[in-house]
Amino acid sequence: MGVQKHSNLASYALGNVLKYRTRSAALLIGLVFATTLLCSTEFIREGLMVDLTASLDEGPDIVVQKLVGGRQTSIPIDWKENVSSFSGVRLVTPRTWGYTDIGNGKLLTIMGVNATEYGSILDSIGTDIVGIGRFLEESDTRKMVVGQGIVDVMAAAGNPRYVGVGARLSLITYDGELIEFEVVGVFSSDSKIYSYDMVLTDINSAAAVLGYDNSTCTDLAIWAEHGSNVNAVALQIDNGIPQSRVLTRDAIRDIMMKTYGDRAGIVALLWSVILMSVVLLAFTASTAGSDEARREVGLLKALGFDTIDILEIRMFESVSISLLGASLGISLAIIYDFYMGAPGLAGYILGWSLVLLNGGIPLVISIPTIFTVYAVALVPILVATVVPAWRNAITEPDTVLRGV
Amino acid sequence: MTTVIRTEDVWKTYSLGSPRQVDAVKGASIEIPKGVITGIGGPSGSGKTTLLSLIGLLTKPSKGKVFIEDKELSALSEVFRTKFRRERIGFIFQAQYLIPQLTATENVAIPKLCTDTSRGEAERLAREKLSGLGLGHRLDFRVAELSGGEQQRVSIARSLMNSPEILIADEPSSSIEEALTKDLLATLREMVDRDELTVIVASHDPLVLGWCDRLYTMRDGEIVIQ
Ligand SMILES: Nc1ncnc2c1ncn2[C@@H]1O[C@H](COP(=O)(O)OP(=O)(O)OP(=O)(O)O)[C@@H](O)[C@H]1O
Ligand SMILES: [Mg+2]
Repeated sequence: MGVQKHSNLASYALGNVLKYRTRSAALLIGLVFATTLLCSTEFIREGLMVDLTASLDEGPDIVVQKLVGGRQTSIPIDWKENVSSFSGVRLVTPRTWGYTDIGNGKLLTIMGVNATEYGSILDSIGTDIVGIGRFLEESDTRKMVVGQGIVDVMAAAGNPRYVGVGARLSLITYDGELIEFEVVGVFSSDSKIYSYDMVLTDINSAAAVLGYDNSTCTDLAIWAEHGSNVNAVALQIDNGIPQSRVLTRDAIRDIMMKTYGDRAGIVALLWSVILMSVVLLAFTASTAGSDEARREVGLLKALGFDTIDILEIRMFESVSISLLGASLGISLAIIYDFYMGAPGLAGYILGWSLVLLNGGIPLVISIPTIFTVYAVALVPILVATVVPAWRNAITEPDTVLRGV
Repeated sequence: MTTVIRTEDVWKTYSLGSPRQVDAVKGASIEIPKGVITGIGGPSGSGKTTLLSLIGLLTKPSKGKVFIEDKELSALSEVFRTKFRRERIGFIFQAQYLIPQLTATENVAIPKLCTDTSRGEAERLAREKLSGLGLGHRLDFRVAELSGGEQQRVSIARSLMNSPEILIADEPSSSIEEALTKDLLATLREMVDRDELTVIVASHDPLVLGWCDRLYTMRDGEIVIQ
């Protein structure tokens, strides 16, 4: 029993939503805007976190850089012997990396490694890191494995080119020369942003493009012995080589998460400001706050509606608008992120000019995010409408007998 | 004649922050018999509307008691007073309080929405009441599109939705012309005679007061003539 009454109240509430069309629409638009922004940020932020974790898992346990005057500078490759001698170090391999142009103004990451050493680690991690073609070999020179982004961007160029195994691509060197490379493989990796815009080549070819001396490199990638304490190994290196900066995987994760987390945080802050205005709007314009609404509450009470019935009506009103608003917002965010590649937002959150195409943005939708968005859309509106309604509803309805 | 409603020295004081206080009703003691029309007259501001609010359980007296059928209802909690209003009292308000965006039928159906009557059934009943008051041709008009007299009848139809035993009408003739007032009074009279409805009307319209079976007159919050 009682079901019929609730359905009556719900249909009356729905009538109210339609009756106060302008206000409902204003609220809805505000909500849709706010939830779209929140959702598209969250999808990217979560995708980024998942992606970073994957790329960190594929990366080394420890990275050693050289600091001179507090600034990172190139490392003499012979540091390798020194670092190898510390206990707990399984493998040390030099890397030379930086950014280069493929002639269309887009930057990509070029990474030069020792093919045998790097390949053995990747094999042992078990990552199926090359999708098409093969990994680099010891004797390779001017050969490269490219990320999917390079394939995509060439395919989308003015005169499209299919980049596959066997294709030849020229990179612009630090001093404006062109060096031609042959593609031997294409990455397929869990980590999209890490490898998406990456060119992997031998260390000497990378040095030639980036202008490094062959006896130096950018950093040393270190993998620790299985079962050894990575922090202890890092501490030894740090103490043993005073000029070094030693970053463990955890430290790198912290730096990355902080960078991206902060950017997403700013967007979330912006979002909260917008949400606040929605609430304010709800307050001033809501059924609950206005004189018209106050009179309606008085009338309903005089006609025998209980306080609880009136709250139920207001609740149905807010819930229907909030759910509709949040659902539309989530849908728009999905379209904006997944189909349009989040123009504007992605570049800001990822914070680099390396993003080549939509496919490069990592995106994740999770149940908790969706749930949070619904909750955040619902609760303030609910409070903003139900509280004033409650205050009206508990006052004596005798004012309805007066013409004010 | 049985007494349905009785007030015992009721006061209603509106405090606007001391020392600004308004004693809208000062010690009114009245008796309202069943099945007749009782009028409450008096000049503007004399406390008629306030007295009706007290009788209709829309507000609690600051002092004194309101009895309905010998039960002291003014002492009851909000929830019980609301339930009593819902089941047994019909109101015609001074300002009619119709919801302009809703149709005549939807307005009249409202009192049934907080009960377990289905919306369809409530609207069927509403149409029946409206047709009974000669508004069969205006059922689906928005009330904003109705004339003053038609709105008045919508308001009456709404007051009858819960088949009340007590009908409280505040200035029912304020927005309608004389001919319509006569129609209205005839309708009320018919219901009183047929259903033993108890009607209390506040007005300063001599035409209305002349129709009442009994009359109280108020001045300055007090009952001066019975
Ligand atoms: N909510 C309120 N707060 C303060 N004063 C009030 C309130 N309601 C009524 N009053 C005062 O109580 C007095 C009686 O008002 P009431 O509305 O009962 O008079 P009335 O006889 O119905 O007048 P009218 O014929 O003009 O409708 C008035 O002086 C009014 O100012
Ligand atoms: Mg009055």
